[in-house]
Amino acid sequence: MNTKQPDTILEFNNVSKHFGGVKAVRNCSFYVKKGQITGLIGPNGAGKTTAFNLITGLLKTNSGNIIFMNEDITDKPTHYIANKGLARTFQKVRLFDNLTIEENLLLAKHHPGENFFKSFFFTRKPSKSLLKKVKQVVNLVGLTKPLSTLTSELSYGQKRLVELARALMMDYKLLMLDEPTAGVNPFIRKRLKVLLRKLRSQGKTILLIEHDMDFVMSLSDEVIVLDAGKKLMADKPGKVRKNKKVLEAYLGK
Amino acid sequence: MIEAYLIHILILICIYIVLAVSLDLTVGFAGMLNMGHVAFFGIGAYTSALLTLGGTPFLPALIAGAIMAGIAGFVLSLPTTKLKGDYLAVATLGFAFIIESVLKNWVSLTRGPLGLPGIPRPEFFGITVSSQLGYLIFSAVVMAICVFLIVRVEKSPFGRMLEATRDDEVAASTLGKDVYKTKAIALTVSAFFAGIAGSLYAHYISFIDPTTFSLLEVILLFSIIIVGGLGSSKGAIVGAIILLILPEPLRFLGFPSSIVGPARQILYALILLLILYFRPKGIFGRVELGES
Amino acid sequence: MSIVVQLLINSIIAGSIYALIASGFSLIYSVAKFMHFAHGAVVTVSAFILFFFAGMLKFPFWLSAILTIIFAALFGLLMNLLCYRPMRKRKATNAVLLIASLAMFILFQSLMIAVFGADIKTVRLGQISTGLNVFGGIITELQIIIVLVSVILLVLLWLFMKKTRLGKAMRAVADNKEVAQTVGINPEKIYNITFMIGSAIAGIAAVLIALEQNVEPNMGFSLIIKGFTGAIIGGIHMVPGAVLGSYLLGLVENFGIWFLPSGYKDAIAFVLLFIFLLIRPQGILGIKRGVNNK
Repeated sequence: MNTKQPDTILEFNNVSKHFGGVKAVRNCSFYVKKGQITGLIGPNGAGKTTAFNLITGLLKTNSGNIIFMNEDITDKPTHYIANKGLARTFQKVRLFDNLTIEENLLLAKHHPGENFFKSFFFTRKPSKSLLKKVKQVVNLVGLTKPLSTLTSELSYGQKRLVELARALMMDYKLLMLDEPTAGVNPFIRKRLKVLLRKLRSQGKTILLIEHDMDFVMSLSDEVIVLDAGKKLMADKPGKVRKNKKVLEAYLGK
Repeated sequence: MIEAYLIHILILICIYIVLAVSLDLTVGFAGMLNMGHVAFFGIGAYTSALLTLGGTPFLPALIAGAIMAGIAGFVLSLPTTKLKGDYLAVATLGFAFIIESVLKNWVSLTRGPLGLPGIPRPEFFGITVSSQLGYLIFSAVVMAICVFLIVRVEKSPFGRMLEATRDDEVAASTLGKDVYKTKAIALTVSAFFAGIAGSLYAHYISFIDPTTFSLLEVILLFSIIIVGGLGSSKGAIVGAIILLILPEPLRFLGFPSSIVGPARQILYALILLLILYFRPKGIFGRVELGES
Repeated sequence: MSIVVQLLINSIIAGSIYALIASGFSLIYSVAKFMHFAHGAVVTVSAFILFFFAGMLKFPFWLSAILTIIFAALFGLLMNLLCYRPMRKRKATNAVLLIASLAMFILFQSLMIAVFGADIKTVRLGQISTGLNVFGGIITELQIIIVLVSVILLVLLWLFMKKTRLGKAMRAVADNKEVAQTVGINPEKIYNITFMIGSAIAGIAAVLIALEQNVEPNMGFSLIIKGFTGAIIGGIHMVPGAVLGSYLLGLVENFGIWFLPSGYKDAIAFVLLFIFLLIRPQGILGIKRGVNNK
């Protein structure tokens, strides 16, 4: 279980990362299969977010390699990896606070006017088709605020939705969500579950860090458990739930 | 007499508007704590002055000054775009000191502390802009073109990308934006326009020396864009007008000239402190200085 | 040979002076987390205060020196209380504090020009010494005192930070303000004390520099440049790093003018700074910290 398969989209091969003396990820390997939802769980400090940061190139690995869509992306620049089709959200929301919801979302798409020399000939106003896409994504995540609202004026839950919407705007092959349910109300949580299932049914691949066990167990096709920077196990949710080692990792021995 | 004095102030305002609006492109839009703007101002002024003194016509000299400043901006961007906040401030400030030191010490080229006198007024097709009023019109036109171009860039998708970089570099890079390249371009363009301002200044005052491009100037420029409000070209324009007019009454209060200079600096420093304390977003500002 | 010895002596003297400035600067940076450029103004204003007491009022030198050092400590404290603290309360970013510190630097430098004039003042103790010959190099008694005072002070500072309760509390705030707060340390109080200690060291530096060089309004400027360069190349988060960096800067500067005209002395500092920012931004002794997240 959880080995390299023909339909593996992301390989995390024997990766290590340490900060000074602290080993956040140690010789850790896991694989993400195309077209399914993979849950990444583990107690605090297990190295989940560090793994995300390594995959997206925000941190440099100390050893090991990361393969995404059959290309070695280890230590490649973040923007390069993103443009290969990797979208992500953050544990602590990261938005462009002095920009509107619309502008936050538009930034997920590349615009010819983002080239400096062509910038003189474009304004920020989106094309009709692009605006349609924005509205569609906003509806999909269930965001009700006007598009012209500055994101700094939103509540935390709404900010999370904008961040998710922004990720969905990208032309992604793999969507990585870092605790999407943290700080959002039960109603949105439910909506989110429906949304993620819908995305999966459209053939999207999702990798999900989550602390809400019911949420992650009911959604995931496969769950990877990290503990102290290593993979403890990976299996179907039902099997993970019953595993003694997992229980120990969470509750202590 | 009064008229000449007014025109003098207006010409300086035009020059400082170009400086402030271009500085705001890096500080206000790209969120870079760029304290090296005076260096580009100086490079533009010296390049343009030296070329015309060597016989080059004005317009090519002005463009050369801008390009030299732009190149300097690009060179500075290479080691600095990955630096954050105060480290970037120190590095850019350090760059300004290196340039000042070169201007002072490369005596065979710049005449060092003696400065360059007798810089000619602009000449177009054999007609020299010799009158004060003529120069005002000329600098107003150049200023309008510069501001138009910079605002155009700021309001474009490229400008939006700059703002995204300012608000959250990490998030921008996970959306596939090359933030380092974006910041390098911002610094290069900002330096290019500071070079134009430098040329305008040199050919107006007709004498430049290294002290014109010192730390005091950095404080004035930051006061202008912070008073006006970061991330707003309107703010930079209004800031330049206010800050250049404000110390003028000091001249008429009968202080000895040895006091007027420092009094001007004290005034600028106090204004900067007060605005940082009471209204850090300035008059038209939307964004605050630095990373939250 | 004797030229090498002389350059070495000059490097040690320069390094000692830079280390006094850099240690206070990095002490304040490590605790309060922003670049306090106005530290340079503390040196300038203190030197003028010394000139005021010793040169104008003709107080005995020892009394003038003590008054100057007390003044420096209070001056630093007041900067923190009247400027930085209210700004911190408004959640000002460290960029805002940095710009504010530059503004204060200019403010006090200009104030000194306005009050005392731009000309050079001197404060002298006794006769100008011809100096001692050490292995072919010349060093004056005053310069020996500068080096000794600097070394002794830095060792005392290091002991204070390591051994005393207060020093430990300062390190706790430097390490993690929130955690320090939960164990009952009041960070605002620690900031006050840090500014006082850092500024008092700057005051001592001002007395020594006033004797060795001159008193002029611009003196704090090149000193703070050297101070923060030393601090950054050594590792600004820790005082020993700043001291190491300062001596390194002294060496590079003094040996650098073998190859370059002496006018470039200041520029050498920045070239060194750039090299470090490029290859080792955390400084010689600095430790790279975790994630580049906010």
